[in-house]
Amino acid sequence: MVKRILLAEDEPNIVESISFLLKRAGLDVDTETDGVAALSSALENTPDVVILDVMMPGIDGFEALRRLRADERGRDVPVVVLSAKGQRTMRETAEEAGANVFMAKPFSNAELVDTVLRLAGEEPT
Amino acid sequence: MASSIVGPRIRERRRSLGITQVELARRVGVSASYLNLIERNRRRIAGALLQRVARELGMRLDQLDGAAERRLMDRLAELAIEPRLATHTPEVDAIAELIGRYPGWAATLAVLSRSERDATELARTLSDRLSHDPFLGEAIHAMLTNVAAIRSASEILTSFPDIEPERRSRFETAIYDESQRLSNVAEALAGYFDKAHTAARAATPGDEVEALFEANANRFADIEMAAAKLATEIPEGEAPAARRDAAKRLVQSSLSDAVGGIIAASDEVDTERAAARAKEELEHYAIDAALAPEPAFSMIAKRAGYDVEEIAETLRVPIETAFRRLTTLPRGKEIPRFGYLCVNAAGQPLVRREIDGLFLPRTGGACPLWSVFRAIGRPGEANRQLVELPSGEHYVFVARAREMGRARFGSPRSYVADMLAMTEIDARQTIYGERLSNEAPEPVGFACRICPREDCEHRAIDRLTGG
Repeated sequence: MVKRILLAEDEPNIVESISFLLKRAGLDVDTETDGVAALSSALENTPDVVILDVMMPGIDGFEALRRLRADERGRDVPVVVLSAKGQRTMRETAEEAGANVFMAKPFSNAELVDTVLRLAGEEPT
Repeated sequence: MASSIVGPRIRERRRSLGITQVELARRVGVSASYLNLIERNRRRIAGALLQRVARELGMRLDQLDGAAERRLMDRLAELAIEPRLATHTPEVDAIAELIGRYPGWAATLAVLSRSERDATELARTLSDRLSHDPFLGEAIHAMLTNVAAIRSASEILTSFPDIEPERRSRFETAIYDESQRLSNVAEALAGYFDKAHTAARAATPGDEVEALFEANANRFADIEMAAAKLATEIPEGEAPAARRDAAKRLVQSSLSDAVGGIIAASDEVDTERAAARAKEELEHYAIDAALAPEPAFSMIAKRAGYDVEEIAETLRVPIETAFRRLTTLPRGKEIPRFGYLCVNAAGQPLVRREIDGLFLPRTGGACPLWSVFRAIGRPGEANRQLVELPSGEHYVFVARAREMGRARFGSPRSYVADMLAMTEIDARQTIYGERLSNEAPEPVGFACRICPREDCEHRAIDRLTGG
């Protein structure tokens, strides 16, 4: 069964790149561009991995993550948090909110794809 | 302490003039062995003898035993206990000797240590300002986002040579677009630093005065007490403007010492220009306090539900006094906290008193949706606004414009607007909290260039981000 990834990111060019990479790695990708929609999609569709950008319209990535973790359906879904503010405090906030992995932008494609595959329980390519 | 400098100083000067101990002793009328004890700081020297020695050595008295040396000694003693220098174990007991024998080097060392301390302090302040600057925060975020998109797309183009042409061209376009945005942000950043460089000095006096008010929680107990005494001398029946003039005269004639004392004792006000500005603002404070003295003011304000117009009418004071006075209320659980902003018709902030969490504009070009800017067009009308900041926080603004100075037929009129700012929770303790829950908050920002509200129809300039 093909693993499904939810990509929550509001920068269209980054969405384009990440979707392409994940599809090439054999994964299905759903995308959402605001925090509220991302949260409801994550709760309703239970994806195998969620990639959450921090700065999004509506509720930000941290808040979406906290609400996801507070819900039984989202308690265990692996989450990668992406942020263009790579300070230490961001990493700490991400971890406190329940992120499995924190990645600062700009990220390496290979590292991102490997991380998502590992969290989805697939063999890295 | 001071006399311990004198001995070595006498000896150095005597030697440099080529006079023997015996000769100098003869000229000033003491024995050579007594002068020797003085030069080795084993005997104190003062009065007439010190004056004779100074004259013989061609020195002023204060050069031999002056306050300048005492300050220099204190400064060097301070330097000697500086933790970062402790490993060098400076000879603390030889400070007097150093000053006496090598006054030039001692003074140089003191000047260096002072300027090093100032530079460290300045660097700390600047770095603090940088890390809290909303423009820089947004600009860096935008750059990292642009770079992430460019890096990812260009890696795809090199790692997937088999990519279909249509998709390849989409990635190429993305790289082109993101590079354009990156270059815009970089240009804006360069311009920002150019401007910051020239504006830094001009901004400083205001910053220092604001820091003084902040450090005192906007309240100066000495002025409050002195002003309350002056209050009885202000004629009660007169019009507000006449009462203000009377208060101004009283404050200027009898409170300049209290105002000067606060400025002299403050760590925040350092430069002359800041001191002049602090004097002006503290005088305003004292005039307001004399017109609306405590503890009566707190009671009247509370009874009026903190309604500025009612307060001004009850106390027969100018409306701006009521606005400013509310920022000076003592801190307490049941007392709402008010921030204050006064702007001119060009949108330039004239006076700012911030409250926690709410950043008030320092320069023009702020978000035009704030009621303070709308108020300018409708003088005399107080309006309330419930706002939602981009962070999602709610504040209540109350703004009202007034005429500046005296109105005269045929002379141009100019207006400024005053604004109170309070949290939505605090507003509920005031008249401005009435029927607030029926009102939809108005989304506002701080300034277009950092505002995330892309679709705002009032946007004047583009936001400096990648998206």
